[in-house]
Amino acid sequence: MNPTLRRVARELRAAWMLLAVCVVLAVASPVFATSGNLLNVALATSVTALLAAGQTFVIILAEIDLSVGAVLGFSAAITALTLRHQSTVTAIVVGLLVGAGAGLVNGLLVTKARMPSFIATLATMSVLGGLTLQLSQGNPIAVTDYDFQNIGQARLAGIPAPVWIMVLVFIGFGVLLARTRFGRYVYATGDNAEAARLSGIAVDRVKILAFVISGLLAALAGFIVSARLSTAEPTAGTGLELEAIAAVIIGGTSLAGGRGDLVGTIVGALILGVIDNGMNLLDVSPFLQSVVKGLVILFAVLLDRNADVIRGWFRRRPPTAPAQTDQDAAELVSA
Amino acid sequence: MLLSVHGVRKAFADNEVLKGVDLAIDAGEVVALVGENGAGKSTLTRVISGVHRPDSGRVEVDGEAVTFRNPQDAMARGIQVIYQEFRHNLFPHLSVAENLFVKEDGRRFGRVLVSRKEMERAASAAMSDLGMDIDPHQRVGRLGVAEQQMVEIAKAMGHDLKVLVLDEPTAALDDRESEALFTQVRRLREDGVGVVYISHRLDEVFALADRVVVLRDGVVALSGRTGDLTRDEVVAAMVGRTVDDFYPKAANARPDGAALELDGLTCAGEFADVSLSVRPGEVVGLGGVLGSGRGSLLRALFGLERLDAGTIRVNGESVRPASPAAAIRAGIAYLTPERGTDGLCAQRSVAENISLAALGAHTSRWGFVRRAAERRAVSETMAGLKVRAASPDIAVGSLSGGNQQKALFGKWVMTRPTVLLMEEPTRGVDVGAKTEIYRIINELTADGVAVLMVSSDLPELVAMSDRVLVMRAGRLAAELTGERITQQAVLEHALEVVS
Repeated sequence: MNPTLRRVARELRAAWMLLAVCVVLAVASPVFATSGNLLNVALATSVTALLAAGQTFVIILAEIDLSVGAVLGFSAAITALTLRHQSTVTAIVVGLLVGAGAGLVNGLLVTKARMPSFIATLATMSVLGGLTLQLSQGNPIAVTDYDFQNIGQARLAGIPAPVWIMVLVFIGFGVLLARTRFGRYVYATGDNAEAARLSGIAVDRVKILAFVISGLLAALAGFIVSARLSTAEPTAGTGLELEAIAAVIIGGTSLAGGRGDLVGTIVGALILGVIDNGMNLLDVSPFLQSVVKGLVILFAVLLDRNADVIRGWFRRRPPTAPAQTDQDAAELVSA
Repeated sequence: MLLSVHGVRKAFADNEVLKGVDLAIDAGEVVALVGENGAGKSTLTRVISGVHRPDSGRVEVDGEAVTFRNPQDAMARGIQVIYQEFRHNLFPHLSVAENLFVKEDGRRFGRVLVSRKEMERAASAAMSDLGMDIDPHQRVGRLGVAEQQMVEIAKAMGHDLKVLVLDEPTAALDDRESEALFTQVRRLREDGVGVVYISHRLDEVFALADRVVVLRDGVVALSGRTGDLTRDEVVAAMVGRTVDDFYPKAANARPDGAALELDGLTCAGEFADVSLSVRPGEVVGLGGVLGSGRGSLLRALFGLERLDAGTIRVNGESVRPASPAAAIRAGIAYLTPERGTDGLCAQRSVAENISLAALGAHTSRWGFVRRAAERRAVSETMAGLKVRAASPDIAVGSLSGGNQQKALFGKWVMTRPTVLLMEEPTRGVDVGAKTEIYRIINELTADGVAVLMVSSDLPELVAMSDRVLVMRAGRLAAELTGERITQQAVLEHALEVVS
């Protein structure tokens, strides 16, 4: 098959799943397919989607960032505290710097201190989570700044500001990943870091920058959460890192690195958002919602990993045995 | 006949890899199995060893038809394979003794608890049977490649060995280690073991094998006693045409000038006081055994090792690259030895791989890749090097070994280097593609690129170099020119037979 077609087919796999879920919900609930509800889905998805966008860069590099939820909470708390005495713009800049700084620390730990990213970001997650609670003494910090609240509550052309932010971020960072030299370096480094290094790529810098992007977008997601609720909740980001990782994986990005994109990630985030929304509409118990989401993640990854086998079921011939080794594959290709 | 296969066919999906192959191995015989990548050698090996079941045809052991359901069945009949990636079968964190007896019945060394002492005594005995002096306590991960291979061979011998299949066993060995391996193979032959020896290196085949079987496109293209065949006949059978000139060496060295000059270059613990110069268009071969410093010298020139003394001049300008990026800017390119681990990004497209090192030249001020210009440059490079790919957008890992290697050359050609350092330029490449790669080297030197080449493939080093420098223990030991460039001379200087 033509590689472009194959790429589209892979992306469509997640998109088809999204479509299927939407069709089922549209039939099951009369409310689902209304524009108001769909905007709700987009609005609810925006936070996860922003975290997942940053996470996509990190995962393509074959790393992981477990700290994004904690970074979200921490930068939101700092921003809320800054808002008490400083202008809106200053607070936003401070919040973004906090996010980028956290990402920088993660990146330095992974590259210069040579720590596995799982451990490094697990540690920063714990540290930042604790700092946030200490700072707030466990209480929500009120956000009364009207301009800041607009980040979460304003509408433009009938569409909520967070949805606009999400769309702009995905276009901007999607272009960064797909069209720039930095994007190429991200893929090359994630696929084979040694080959990338020997091609003259400063792989440490690429990785650090990816973690900075992840931290920056986590801070941005934090603005949306606290602006919508008019409070910075110290535990606002708890667990969101896993949701973001799930969205990235459902979107077809490989944990092994070197493969994936933001189109898949937004579809993955929307699938999770639609399912959340649908289960609320259908009055599924919140306890069971978590069960359903887990199953959806399993199903999506199962489809992705076994696409060839599944395609085989629809043919008369049995599926081809997977190549045993590279050399086998080479024989098959060259013969 | 110890082992024979008759009319074996095997297809994967629509692709028939073996189309009726016959092969027989007698006790105390070394049969070399040669053929280009894709000829079916690996598949045949896997049929013999029970990994694949043939679609038709039969396998016989001691004249009795057998059906192997899995590799364990084959091992039970005394058939062992040592794959090229044999390291995957070893446990690097376990000791030599533990590795040797990992498949042993648990009660051999004590009823409940394993007696280490007994196990290690048995391991010592097994290793000294092979003439190896390896401490059985030693963790296998700490051993060198050649010693690890010996552990794997010792493991195979512990199982009432009848037939041993060696798949490219010398790919990672230097000349001295290869010699030690050949000694073992000959010893096995004397013990009545049948050996199937798969190799790309025809010199080894002719030195070692009693018979040669050439596979091409899934059938036996040629088979005969080694003494009755010539090298040219074997090569012709492998590629399906006569190769009039296997090494199409063109003398492109410019009469004067120096593209690369090294003066007193020293890197503590690796090499010392290396002075040499390479003229534009010249190919200087670096001979020497593994650990002689030849590889580290290339790495140092590419900014991968810290230099302690000496100067590097590229086109007369003094440089001291601190990173690959700096080396590339200085006009130095480095074709790395293991394209799978240090050369290519296998999942990414051919085009992305080829433009990777020169992407800066196709990037706008704002960091965007100028895709049309990039695509043009990549297409030109691919056409120039005859990289055969269905499209520049397919994953480079799906290409054949030869085309992958040409893509790797393409990556460095795109940087327009003054000096091209290359290590094992034709490793894991089939015979036909080797010649094409030599032509690429000729074209580069015709354009004035200076080449400094390290190769463990001695015939290649001798044939493709204008001059050979031999390194020994971190120093330049000899310079060979003209008629004096022979395999014999390179080996003697590398191994300190002469001084």
